[in-house]
Amino acid sequence: MTEEQYPRLSGEWMTPRRRFLSALYGGRVDKVPAMTLSSVITLEAMEIADAAFPEAHLDAEKMARLAATAHENLGLDTVMPVFHSQLEADALDASTWWGTKDNWPAVDDHVLTDPDDFKVPSDYLERRSFRAALGAIRLLRKRYPDVGIVGKVYGAWSVGFHMVGIENFLMDTILDPDKIRRYLEVLLPASMMSAHAQLEAGADAIMWCDHANRELVSPDMYRDFLLEMHQQIQAEVGGPSILHCCGETTDRIDYFAEAGWDCFHFESQVDPVKAKEIAGDRMSLFGNINNPTVLFSGTYEDCYEACMTVLNAGVQGVAPEGSVPLGTKMEVLAALADSARDYSNAHRPDGRFVTHDPPVAGSDS
Amino acid sequence: MVQLSGIANDTIRAEIEEFLERPEEIERNVELFSRASPEMQDIAAALIEGDNVTVDRLTSKALADGVHALEIMDDGLIAGMGIVGIKFREGYVFVPEVLVSARAMKAGMAHIEPILAASGVEPIGTVIMGTVQGDLHDIGKNLCIMMLRGGGFTVIDLGVNTSPDEFLAAVKDSEARLIGMSALLTTTMPNMARTVEAFKDAGLREQVRFMVGGAPVTPEFGEEVGADGYGKDALACVALAKQLALDVRR
Repeated sequence: MTEEQYPRLSGEWMTPRRRFLSALYGGRVDKVPAMTLSSVITLEAMEIADAAFPEAHLDAEKMARLAATAHENLGLDTVMPVFHSQLEADALDASTWWGTKDNWPAVDDHVLTDPDDFKVPSDYLERRSFRAALGAIRLLRKRYPDVGIVGKVYGAWSVGFHMVGIENFLMDTILDPDKIRRYLEVLLPASMMSAHAQLEAGADAIMWCDHANRELVSPDMYRDFLLEMHQQIQAEVGGPSILHCCGETTDRIDYFAEAGWDCFHFESQVDPVKAKEIAGDRMSLFGNINNPTVLFSGTYEDCYEACMTVLNAGVQGVAPEGSVPLGTKMEVLAALADSARDYSNAHRPDGRFVTHDPPVAGSDS
Repeated sequence: MVQLSGIANDTIRAEIEEFLERPEEIERNVELFSRASPEMQDIAAALIEGDNVTVDRLTSKALADGVHALEIMDDGLIAGMGIVGIKFREGYVFVPEVLVSARAMKAGMAHIEPILAASGVEPIGTVIMGTVQGDLHDIGKNLCIMMLRGGGFTVIDLGVNTSPDEFLAAVKDSEARLIGMSALLTTTMPNMARTVEAFKDAGLREQVRFMVGGAPVTPEFGEEVGADGYGKDALACVALAKQLALDVRR
């Protein structure tokens, strides 16, 4: 066999799905992935897909069509159909306001006051929010076998906010910490069942959302309430895991890495260089393009520049920091994929794999 | 060098020594607590420790002993909450600790507010507060409201998921000229701009002043949406409201 018979791969030769998964594990990529991990759905996307909020939250076909715009129209390597954050809470009988076309759903009443009153309903995974989300994942898997599909789970801590009310939940971390531990213990199976069901339906990875950010609690509180539970999740989740935690998290990234997450999806309050320095090779990083200033109010050029900044920091993939405002323009979001392509073209010194080191001197890239 | 010896309460002295760093804040608090009676210092210390039962008991006792409600509010409750606010800003405590102290402050204010209302003390101004449309988070807003009320403002609380029309209606129905908008989600922050726009469309923009805040909100974003000021936390919110209240009175 000679090299002439088998020409070297070059340029973009991985499928988006393979690229996404390799980057998630910190592996080799032909191009740095540009992704949706939280929602990139916009009012424009709803017109394109002929599928709009709020119907798309509870209709598998509409949800799948809308989710697909991330790949079809924005060129992203992933799709993510669970746009909202009510998947588990709604199926656990929390009162959900499903929003309007231009407003996001929210849990508007809290139903739990005692962890010992909680039980996962026997038909939990058959309830409306799961029927839609799992149905959408199955449709997307069938229609896009080569595109990464991200499943989204609210962890026991964040489901606790929905079920108990964030104010009561946070106060009890001080007034009655054992009660909070008990809440986490009883709610974890609901989150774990959600993760398993989404993986089984065809999701490639689970983004696990537990909001223990600096704007809310101390890093010690993450350590005391969540670290061990998150370590347990790694052993039981059964697929690649991405942690999402909103806001400023620099002072707890080390704990996240200790918890064993494959990847951390971080927000714009965190300096990507600092995040990379802390995470090292222990955990991949995806992020962290600012929503309000860059994506919603900014231009294509602003987004492109922000993406280049985060890519130059050495993160494994670029994505909006969280769900984008619905009025965000798709022409701005297009810079996510364009910047990842251009960055990769400039950082593929052997023509094959992207490296975050400076290009080799004398190479033509 | 400031003298802590004038402060009788051990907790208050330790709090000032351990957590206050800015010279002007140390000086102000030492002066405030040295002037405050030991009973007021005890109320402040219990509030800092989040002990609502003790705050309730001590406030009730102080009123029964003839201490003026305003003195209890200023030298006990607000003074204690001021220390909590500084510790929060500096990252020594987080939302749970602030909420527990806020609960203690509420326990004290439950005695104070009816007395102040009946005595006809003029408020500094009236503020309309609401979390913007699509957003159901209200911790930050509620903390601001508590501090605004403690700071001498009357507050009209529109709650969560407040549409631009509801803000407009509240201004038309009241004499309030200060509006505070809160958002916790980057997805709902654009509704701050929509609210400001609605006031422009209604021809009321020049008559009111907008304050914005919330975890993802920045001063730059506030400027972008046309707000008159940004408050990073509840303490900053009160300072901003006082400044803007002067503005709307002119």
